[in-house]
Amino acid sequence: MEQRPVRIAVDIGGTFTDLQILDARQGRVVAWKTPTTPADPSEGLLIGVREAAERFGFVLADVGLLLHGTTIATNAVLERKLARGVLITTAGFEDVLEITRHFRRDVYGLAPDPFPCLIERDLRFGVVERVRADGSVETPLGDLAPMLEKLRAAKPEAVAIGLLHAYANPSHELALREAVQAAMPGIPVSLSSEISPEIREYERLSTTVLNAVLMPVVQNYLARLEARLGEGGFSPRIFLVQSNGGMCSLPRAAAQPARLLLSGPSGGALAAERLSRRLARPNLVAVDMGGTSFDVSVVQNHRIGLVTQGEVDRLPVRLPMVEMRTIGAGGGSLAAVDASGRLTAGPRSAGARPGPVCYGRGGTLPTVTDANAVLGRIDPDFFLGGAMSLDVASARVAMGAEVGDKLGLGIEAAAEGVLRVTNVQLASAVRLSLFEKGLDPRDFTLLSFGGAGGLHATEVADELGITEVIFPREPGTLSAYGILFSDLVQDLARSRLLPAEAEALPEIEATLAGLREEAVARLVADGVPEDQRGIEVSADLRYHGQAFELLVPWPEAPDLPALMARFHTEHRARFSYAAEDEKVEIVTLRMAAIGRLPKPAETSGEAASTSTTPASREVWQQGGAASWPVWRREKLHGADIIEGPAIVEEAFATHVIAAGWQAKLDPEGALIARRLP
Amino acid sequence: MTLGPIEIEVIRNALNAAAAEMDVTVWRTSRSTIVRELLDYSTAVFDAQGWNLAQSARIPGHLNSMSHALREILAHYVPPDEWHEGDVIVTNDPYCGGQHLPDIIAYKPVFHEGERIAFAGTLCHHIDVGGLAAGSYAAKATEIFQEGLRIPPLKILDRGVRNDGVWAMIRQNIRKPDLLLGDLSSQLASLDVGAAALQRLARRFGTDAMLEAGARILDMSEAGMRAAIAAMPDGTYEFTDFLDDDGIDIGVPIRLHVAVTIKGDEASVDLSGCGPQVAGPTNATLASTNAAVMFSLMCCADSSLHMSAGCYRPITVIAPEGLVVNARHPAPVAHRVAVTHRLLNAMNGALHQAVPELIPAAYYGNSYVTTFQTVAETREVLVEIEIGGSGGHPIKDGVNAYASGMHNNSNIPIEMIEAQLPLTVMRYGLRDGSGGAGRYRGGLGLIREWRIDSPRCFFTSNMDRFDHAPYGLAGGGSAAPGALVLRRDGVESPIPPKTDNLPLRQGDVVRLETSGGGGFGPAAERTPAASARDKAMGYL
Repeated sequence: MEQRPVRIAVDIGGTFTDLQILDARQGRVVAWKTPTTPADPSEGLLIGVREAAERFGFVLADVGLLLHGTTIATNAVLERKLARGVLITTAGFEDVLEITRHFRRDVYGLAPDPFPCLIERDLRFGVVERVRADGSVETPLGDLAPMLEKLRAAKPEAVAIGLLHAYANPSHELALREAVQAAMPGIPVSLSSEISPEIREYERLSTTVLNAVLMPVVQNYLARLEARLGEGGFSPRIFLVQSNGGMCSLPRAAAQPARLLLSGPSGGALAAERLSRRLARPNLVAVDMGGTSFDVSVVQNHRIGLVTQGEVDRLPVRLPMVEMRTIGAGGGSLAAVDASGRLTAGPRSAGARPGPVCYGRGGTLPTVTDANAVLGRIDPDFFLGGAMSLDVASARVAMGAEVGDKLGLGIEAAAEGVLRVTNVQLASAVRLSLFEKGLDPRDFTLLSFGGAGGLHATEVADELGITEVIFPREPGTLSAYGILFSDLVQDLARSRLLPAEAEALPEIEATLAGLREEAVARLVADGVPEDQRGIEVSADLRYHGQAFELLVPWPEAPDLPALMARFHTEHRARFSYAAEDEKVEIVTLRMAAIGRLPKPAETSGEAASTSTTPASREVWQQGGAASWPVWRREKLHGADIIEGPAIVEEAFATHVIAAGWQAKLDPEGALIARRLP
Repeated sequence: MTLGPIEIEVIRNALNAAAAEMDVTVWRTSRSTIVRELLDYSTAVFDAQGWNLAQSARIPGHLNSMSHALREILAHYVPPDEWHEGDVIVTNDPYCGGQHLPDIIAYKPVFHEGERIAFAGTLCHHIDVGGLAAGSYAAKATEIFQEGLRIPPLKILDRGVRNDGVWAMIRQNIRKPDLLLGDLSSQLASLDVGAAALQRLARRFGTDAMLEAGARILDMSEAGMRAAIAAMPDGTYEFTDFLDDDGIDIGVPIRLHVAVTIKGDEASVDLSGCGPQVAGPTNATLASTNAAVMFSLMCCADSSLHMSAGCYRPITVIAPEGLVVNARHPAPVAHRVAVTHRLLNAMNGALHQAVPELIPAAYYGNSYVTTFQTVAETREVLVEIEIGGSGGHPIKDGVNAYASGMHNNSNIPIEMIEAQLPLTVMRYGLRDGSGGAGRYRGGLGLIREWRIDSPRCFFTSNMDRFDHAPYGLAGGGSAAPGALVLRRDGVESPIPPKTDNLPLRQGDVVRLETSGGGGFGPAAERTPAASARDKAMGYL
């Protein structure tokens, strides 16, 4: 479907815009990094592409595909830079959005804040109507004139429409959209029956509202991005990364921006999935540690897991997304000692500004990065490949004052303590991610990436009994690498509570046929040739009486016995039992319409031609300083054997190979560390 | 040996992780909706003496009762030297350290190199343990024998061998044996996970270090709690609040009086002024009472305080037997949560006098439990627990519809109810005007209406705060009391808040109106901007 040779994946983060470039002419994958331009991220994107073109020898007209990961939607929510929205919903239920689901996380708090609510009560309008769970209409849509009058007076920039049971029958929502658009031509409108046609009113409403108030924001960005097309012959087809790890077209992103909300970490998970195959490791636990967060995703039998719901800033998003556990632990996490003498690391963070003390940007409280700097684990003169030098002296002062003095420890011992406390927290997050699936860490290889991951990985593995750690090539742009090899994926869903029994088969088949028709229509609209189309069916199932569902693939659809067999097996694996005599219910049927992008072969990384001798540096560990070898990654040769303790440095990351570990370069270019017996 | 502060932190984190892994195990392997959806369970690890070292953060009512029960068992029922490797001891008996019969607590001793170094414990609210009413929540019980099967502390596993007689005995006495025994098995699996985590820790650090770390963690929690109490001015602070009644002697209020004496860094809580135990199930035993008192004081501490049994040390509770807060056998106790809600309200009223900058006005103080048993071709049961508003706070408004105080559950999606049962929810919204007025307004309560679509339906409820409204503080107004109304053929009539099996018919509508929170500070001092916003939002 695309003849031009160059494919670019770009992942725009808070500080850097990462690019990975695949040039089919050489089958070569290369990486590039450029500063992010926060005012208009598309500017930095184009700068990065131009720089890369010059550096790697292609012209802009060679670029056929641009695969774009962006946190623009997420950031807009976190910073509340959202459109003024109105919610139209079933009369009598205007407050559902504010009531939420009740369960509180801060059990002991005396001064609770309300759950976030993006549309306040005076902008939530009820209309008389009622649809039942089976899709029948109990009360037809009433007179809309009074509501429309209020709507015009409210001067909204976007409208969310979410009615009870609209997943079962969208006719009232469709009629409302027509009326709203007639009254306010051109206003963006989001329907719950389109963005998230699934049962459970609060989660669906939350998703619909998020989608509505994001529409103007994302549309604005996409317009600026499109305006840059044509410059210097740069006119690739553009696709955006969604939370489910698949790409979508620009029109889809403009209409359903909520699908971008949790796409940030999905690139890393995709990369883990691809590396799992390239490195022949079916079971990987991938950890991405950056400045503020630690994201854990699990690859099992070469596949990442999807879940049907996530959240952003405590707001549920009911859309398929890559399964991920995130804790607030990163290089910027603040170390502190409380009144009872308890040392904590995170979850409070120094963020990008002021950042760690050693960055010299005004930070005065010590962070995890400062602990690494104090101990000599990071080279102060080679940070970010030498782009920035670190103020270790100030970090020492802060570590001493805020941690050491309060605990009666020296500066280095305090810093070491901060790392130990951090590592047990990281290990707990990894263990829980596996544990909740009934998996054992010892059966997994740890894949470490992100700017800060390598400093902790082998020690975290030791906490977990994991004996192999892989540091992939280009760990600082790995998300972009994952994006480079992903597919177009459009998720469709329809909720209908049905018994998973023969009597319901006609309705199940009708629903599947409807979904399939829509899936094909979308693939055609995206111009996916027939031989590159794929459709994957799955179902959310539960035993009668359960309150939660299990997502089960259904390649044999509509073969019900096959689905039941998979459900029981999956249920036993995940929840330790199966109740084969109990009735099973289908809650939601899902279909993923997949447009496969060609996966050109990539060549392996190039190792240095000759062996080198490592440099060395004084690093503090367990009560004293010792000289550790310091290797440069790009100078590593396949025959080099790195005995821990040692450090491996590259432009945007530093890796610690702990004592008791031995690391070697693998033919794919990954650095593989193994625990010695 | 003496551990450094870093080792203590590493071990503390590992203990927290053990409790969290136990928590995930219950969640992962349990069967009933009450555990899986309402999340009505807790897990914890204890030192070798039964003191709570770490816990998963779930239900306040559970958390600080589990150490009490284990200590009771060790002192009176199963002496320390009779706990062997592979044993699991369970009980649900409120008169042996438990709270009410649906809560089954299970403990497992953890050994390393032949020495008992710790205990793991889980508490689950089970869907039914027999007795008068489905769910074992009979509003009209007058003795505990009507409330279900009582399990005295006994070995359900004896050196790793299942005590089959006990399992068979339980199976024979309850309504949903597969669910209960399934959930009980999940408790046992969780204990194994906790024990393995603790043993992993002991192998790494050694027994001495484990024990020392445990002792130091308790000491540090104690120091944190003492610091919080020391920050309160010395004196005795009294407060009285009331439960409406026990459902048997209708309209006879139950007095909850607390006298909190702060002296230096210690607190003594005298409950002698509480009313005598009552005929109906609105009684508490000491496990419940202590949990409410400890929770109220622990909330006043620094947010980084590690919640462990060390926090209990500077706190003394005086609760003479025979009172509603320390009921004498065989008083019924199924609705002990009502006592703990009100006791917490009373504690907060007293603590407000000591630390006025911390304590909000009264929250709704009630678990609004409703049960609908619809009767058509099949019988289906819906159990819901609703909430109200939180109290106005010294520096901000209370929160509308916020799960507060002793419980912490989820609501049930309307669309799920309507897809499964012959019921229609006609309305679910905030209740205008239900928050107490004040400089800082109380959060609003809720309105929920159910229409019966089946030919017959039986309605059961167990609620309070219909006569005695949630109070305001510092001159703030009280919140609206609750209301429960039946609308039949266009005519409305009140339903008593404590009702067993009220027959309803098709087309009837039940409306629940829950209390908001009390207001804080005089309403006259509310800022014009805040008042204008209340008006714009229709909150008044």
